[in-house]
Amino acid sequence: MKTEMPLSKPIRRFLNQTEEMLDTEISLLRQPDAEPGGTLVDVYTYEMEKNVNVIIFPAQYVGLLKDFIIAKHCTSLLIKGAAHKKAKYQVLSYTEDSVARGLRQIYYDALKDEAKKQDKLPVNKLIQMLFILFTHFNDDLNELPWNAMINASVYHRMPKIRKTQLYHVMKESKNDMDEMIEQEHIVPRRYFVLNKAMFYARDMFLAKTLPADELMPVLNIPQMKKFNHLEVKEMLTTRWTHTAWYQSKVFGDNMLEIVDRHLDKVEWNEPPTLDHYLELYKLGVNLTNHLISFMTMKDWYVWEEPKHLLQAHQEKGEYEKKALKKIFGDLLGESWGEK
Amino acid sequence: MTLKEAVELAKKGRAYAQRTKFKEAMAYYNKALSLDPKYAEGWYLRASVLIDTGKPDEAIVDCERALALNHNYADAWSKKALALFNLERYEDAVLAATRASTLNGNDAMAWYLKGVCLDELGKSDEAQEAYGKSLELEIIMDMDAERKKVGRT
Repeated sequence: MKTEMPLSKPIRRFLNQTEEMLDTEISLLRQPDAEPGGTLVDVYTYEMEKNVNVIIFPAQYVGLLKDFIIAKHCTSLLIKGAAHKKAKYQVLSYTEDSVARGLRQIYYDALKDEAKKQDKLPVNKLIQMLFILFTHFNDDLNELPWNAMINASVYHRMPKIRKTQLYHVMKESKNDMDEMIEQEHIVPRRYFVLNKAMFYARDMFLAKTLPADELMPVLNIPQMKKFNHLEVKEMLTTRWTHTAWYQSKVFGDNMLEIVDRHLDKVEWNEPPTLDHYLELYKLGVNLTNHLISFMTMKDWYVWEEPKHLLQAHQEKGEYEKKALKKIFGDLLGESWGEK
Repeated sequence: MTLKEAVELAKKGRAYAQRTKFKEAMAYYNKALSLDPKYAEGWYLRASVLIDTGKPDEAIVDCERALALNHNYADAWSKKALALFNLERYEDAVLAATRASTLNGNDAMAWYLKGVCLDELGKSDEAQEAYGKSLELEIIMDMDAERKKVGRT
C-alpha cells in the first residue's frame, strides 16, 4: 500500500496486515461522488489485471470517516480473501430458472395485495415491479448480513474509531430506513415488511453491540442534539416502535433472533488469522441461508462464484423476459421490455 | 504581468491536479509562479502536488515560501504539517498542525493530522481530543455534502 494520505496508526497497521495476509495490494482512492459508505473493488469479485484492490471513498472524508471506511472494507476483503484462499468464495446469484421461481412468487403475493386495494396498480407497472423487487432482495441479501458482521468485527478490533463508526451506522440506518418508502403503496406488503424487518434486525443487533457511551462527541453537533441523553439502542429502536410498522417489528424481532443465534457465538477478539475470517465467512453464509429460509425465498437464489453474478447481471434483461413468458405465456406481447 | 493572470494559470493547474494529472498541474503552477513569485497560494498549490507525487521535502520548501509571504496562511501550515508527517517528523508536524488549527479552527485535516502525530508520539489522550474535534468537523462537512446532494436530485 503506497499512499500520500495521512492514516492513523491502527488503520495503517490493519491495511498492512490485510495486504500481508492476503498477499495482495490495496490502493486508496478519493472521489467526489463516491458512495457514502465507500466502495470496494476487489480481486476476488472482479477480474482485475493487477493484484490490486481499490477502496474508494468520498472526497470530504479526510480523517476518521475515511479511516472507518478503510477498516470496514479491509474486513470485508479479509473475509472474501480467506474464503477464496481456504475454501471457495461465493455470493448469492441467480439463474434463468431461479428468476422465474422468484418472480412467480412475488406475482402471486402481489395479486393477493391487489385484490384488497381500491386503487389498483396498472398491470404493466405490476409486471415491471416483479424483477425490480427480485434483484433488490438479491442486493440486500448480499450486503446486509455481512454488514452486521463487519461492523461488529470493526467495533471490537478498532476501539479508536468507535465514535466514527456510530455516526456511520446511524447514517446508514437512516438511509436504509428511507429505502422503498416512496414505493410503499406499490410494493406488496409482505416484501415491504420483509425489507424493513431485515434492516430492523441489523440495526437492533448493532444497537446491542455498540454501546452508547462512545457517542458523546457526536452530540456536540447541533444536528444531533435531539438525540441527547438517549442510548444508541433507544435511538435505533424509537423510530421503529413509534411508527406504524408493527409487522416489520414482529418479523424483525424474529430475524434478530436469527442474527443473534449465528453471531453471538463469534469470538470477535480472536487473533485475526485467515482461519478466523474464514469462520466469519462461513457464519455469514449460514446466516444468509437462514434469513432466506425465513423469508421463504429459498429457491430464488443460488450460491455461485462472483463472476456468475456479474454474468447474471449482464443477462438480467433476458432472464426477466423469459421468466415473464413462463408466468404469463402469450398474454405478454413479444415486444415486452423493448424500448 | 499581473497577479490575476497567475491566478488564472493556477486555476487551470488546480483542475488538472483534481484529476490527478500532476505533471500538467505542475507546469501551470510553475508558469504562474514564474510570473508572480509573490503569489502565496501558488506555492501552496505546488506544495500539494509535490506531496501527492511523493516529494514531501520539496513541499516543505514551497510551504515555507508561502508562509514567508503570509505567515498566517492556515492552509500552508496544514500542508506543511502533512509533509512533515510524511517525513515522520511528528513533533514538527504537531507544531505545524496546531498552528493551522489555531488559525482555522474548522480545518478537519489539521486536527486529524495533529491526532495522528500525537498518537505516533504516544500521547494518546491528547490525540483523542484532536481526533474528536476532527470528527465533529468531518461530520458537519459530510452533512453539508449530503444536503447539497439532496438539493441536486
